[in-house]
Amino acid sequence: MNARRRVAITGIGMVTPVGCNAPTTWASLLAGRSGVGPIRQFDASGFPVRIGAEVKAVPSEATLCDPRLLKFASRSHRFALAAAGEALADAGIRPLADNSHRWGLAVGAGMLGVTFSEFQAVHAFCVPDGEFNPDGLLNPGYPADPVAFCRSQTNAGLGLLARQFGITGYATSVHTACASGGQALGTALKVIRRGLADFMLAGGYDSMLHPIGLSAFCLLGALSTDNDTPEQASRPFDATRNGFVLGEGAGFLVLEEWQAARARGARIYAELAGDGNSLSSYRITDSHPSGDGPIQAMQQALADAQASVESADYVNAHGTSTLMNDRSECAALRAVMGGHIGKVAVSSTKSCMGHLISAAGAVEAGICALAIRDSIAPVNANLVQTDPDCDLNIVRGQSRPMRIRVAMSNSFGFGGSNSCLVFRQPDGAGEP
Amino acid sequence: METSSPVAITGLGAVCGAGLTVEAIWNAIQSGKSAIAPITQWDASRWPRRQAAEVTGVSNATLVPDRKYHKFLSRTDLFGLYAADAALQQSGLIAYRDRMDAASAPRFNDRSGVFVGSGGCVYQNSYDFFPALTAASGDLRAFGRHIESCVNPMWLLTRLPNNVLCYTGIRHSFKGTNACITNQCVGGALAIAEAAAAIRSCEADRAVATGHDAPIEPESLWYYHQAGLLSQDLLRPFDCSRTGTIFGEGAASLVLENEPDARGRQARVHGELLGSGCSTEATGIVAVRPDGDGLSRAIKLALADANLPPDRVGVVVAHGNGTVASDASEAMAIRRVFGKNPPPVTAFKWAVGHTIAASGALDVVLALTALKQGVVPGIATLECLDPQLAPLPVSREPQSPRSDIALVLNRGFGGMNVALVVRAPGGSTST
Repeated sequence: MNARRRVAITGIGMVTPVGCNAPTTWASLLAGRSGVGPIRQFDASGFPVRIGAEVKAVPSEATLCDPRLLKFASRSHRFALAAAGEALADAGIRPLADNSHRWGLAVGAGMLGVTFSEFQAVHAFCVPDGEFNPDGLLNPGYPADPVAFCRSQTNAGLGLLARQFGITGYATSVHTACASGGQALGTALKVIRRGLADFMLAGGYDSMLHPIGLSAFCLLGALSTDNDTPEQASRPFDATRNGFVLGEGAGFLVLEEWQAARARGARIYAELAGDGNSLSSYRITDSHPSGDGPIQAMQQALADAQASVESADYVNAHGTSTLMNDRSECAALRAVMGGHIGKVAVSSTKSCMGHLISAAGAVEAGICALAIRDSIAPVNANLVQTDPDCDLNIVRGQSRPMRIRVAMSNSFGFGGSNSCLVFRQPDGAGEP
Repeated sequence: METSSPVAITGLGAVCGAGLTVEAIWNAIQSGKSAIAPITQWDASRWPRRQAAEVTGVSNATLVPDRKYHKFLSRTDLFGLYAADAALQQSGLIAYRDRMDAASAPRFNDRSGVFVGSGGCVYQNSYDFFPALTAASGDLRAFGRHIESCVNPMWLLTRLPNNVLCYTGIRHSFKGTNACITNQCVGGALAIAEAAAAIRSCEADRAVATGHDAPIEPESLWYYHQAGLLSQDLLRPFDCSRTGTIFGEGAASLVLENEPDARGRQARVHGELLGSGCSTEATGIVAVRPDGDGLSRAIKLALADANLPPDRVGVVVAHGNGTVASDASEAMAIRRVFGKNPPPVTAFKWAVGHTIAASGALDVVLALTALKQGVVPGIATLECLDPQLAPLPVSREPQSPRSDIALVLNRGFGGMNVALVVRAPGGSTST
């Protein structure tokens, strides 16, 4: 008998461009509603790309956290606090004083912690005539705000989440660009299996929709320039796709050791059954066209879940809507699925909500769990003319009611980290 | 593989202000020499805090000879790649893999993991956008129009936190399980812990684990000073006149392998990773609990993971960052775990500065060296142990480890605490 600990998903929380919580997000995705539009949170009219997938309803401050912590929370931290709080409420369980050390945290954190106004202040004092002079910081007028210092630390989000929810066990923060959220969940799975925790609050959060974040992706030429048709800009697997849409948000799951979850009568969405983790070691921005790198991640995840290829019913693709990713991801899927490729349903929910970068893998894991619960695969929106290289069984037109025994979620990041997570429908007996 | 199986350490690499090799850094520490000196990266002569342990006199080409990397990597990344290259070189793994037949190498590569604890310039990274803001005279609309003519199109790729992960993989064809940990100070220590855990769980057969950081930048220096965290002159762990920490920079790397593989290829084994523990105090971002609770829990978890009682520990390499609060709570944690008879305690940040994300990895490399040499170096800046922390077996003079096992402590923002337990056979006169 396999004595390895299994992991249940018992709570889901999300703040996304298509909904301020998980149920609203899920309803929007099933309906194929787009969250992409002109950027409103700052004046983006001078930028080459002026569209994004913004969170429309920023979580109400009163509900987020201890008011004393609020000022330390950046925009993406607020998303995280809201989504994590929702996940815990959804699971109906919280860390308590006597078990807080058996709770852990694993988060995929966004990379830029400085606000544009802080950046402007440094410029004003230190770059008076084009040359950077650090002595400008010594000027008594320079507002060196200790709160801004705390907020900009790479693990500030982790620290805030641990304090807000009283988690004192294993805690880690990771960043592998677009794979961050998936790898955070994979780490959480492993931490429970290793016996280091019985509960994990795991997820990802990001907001690069600010002048420097937007600039960064514009400069790379990675974004769709369809400023006049924002809702169709993100069109994964379409022959005319021309880049991704930058989004923002957060997604969190509550993960629990399986036996304990069943014993307390928890509602289990799905089992987080397998994790596959590889490095493409090819180029910083993309995988080999053959799909080498992602192939290993998917194969390892299925093997880790002890799931056959034939049992995989749905894949939530990385599907960024870039030329390179979508093509190499489809090549990878063909290599992994073999003869089953025509049967497995594939969709990218980035078609509706854009690319949430460090949050993407975590939100998309929640989507897989919901898909299993409701036996429906969310639509891949905006697919009008399928790229012949991407001609898989894509869920086009509308969401597809179907039984989902095993689902997979892919997240492939700049820098070559590839994450694949496998989810399994919980059966009545809860046996492996 | 059982959770308590040791993992072999078959390669070490390090670079910091005290030297470009493990041996050079060790020799500096043994001779009481600190790399802390006035900052040279910018003119800090008018600054209230102007000291750091910089890596000086080393060109980018020395760190990573292939010049194409210099265009798209920053200094912290070059440190990390350099340390990983050195550790892998010492391990002999690449030469071993290159002797394999073509059919075996892909599986070898897929079973070789990479773990990185990453850090760099939090604020300075965005300064590349200053020219656009200048050209735009501060107007946001104009800023957007100027970025393409003012900023390197690859900017984002030059600043990715996971560059060392990416390029360690590319340079050595390691394609297995991986992580880039952005957990501030404890990143390097966690990279080692997770690499070892991956090997024990058979997710990988081997892994290179690296911690790297280059935190010395004006805004960080200014913020830390405002927060009262920086010393003006010396870094004095546990001393009654300690006033704060001082930044260092650099990287350290270990190659870890499952023991049967290491034996099978007759690798030189430098030591073993026996266990690890990680906890958070949930105190927010910068605060630490005065009672050292998080650290003592991490130590107990690490000892349990190593299946060892406290009295088997031969030396404690403390975090010893020189701040009033952290050193005090650390002393409490050590006392809580070890009671009345703790083993010798030392710390290395007085010599190499606080290298933030690299610190835990660097301390592990130095702990292994100390065990092999059979010497616990003294803390050269210790003049008078803070009586509030006594008794604590720290000394200016060298001590002897009581066994071949070291406990390494590492702490960071977020109330983070990590403890690692390593073993290395003593009696060697070479590093």
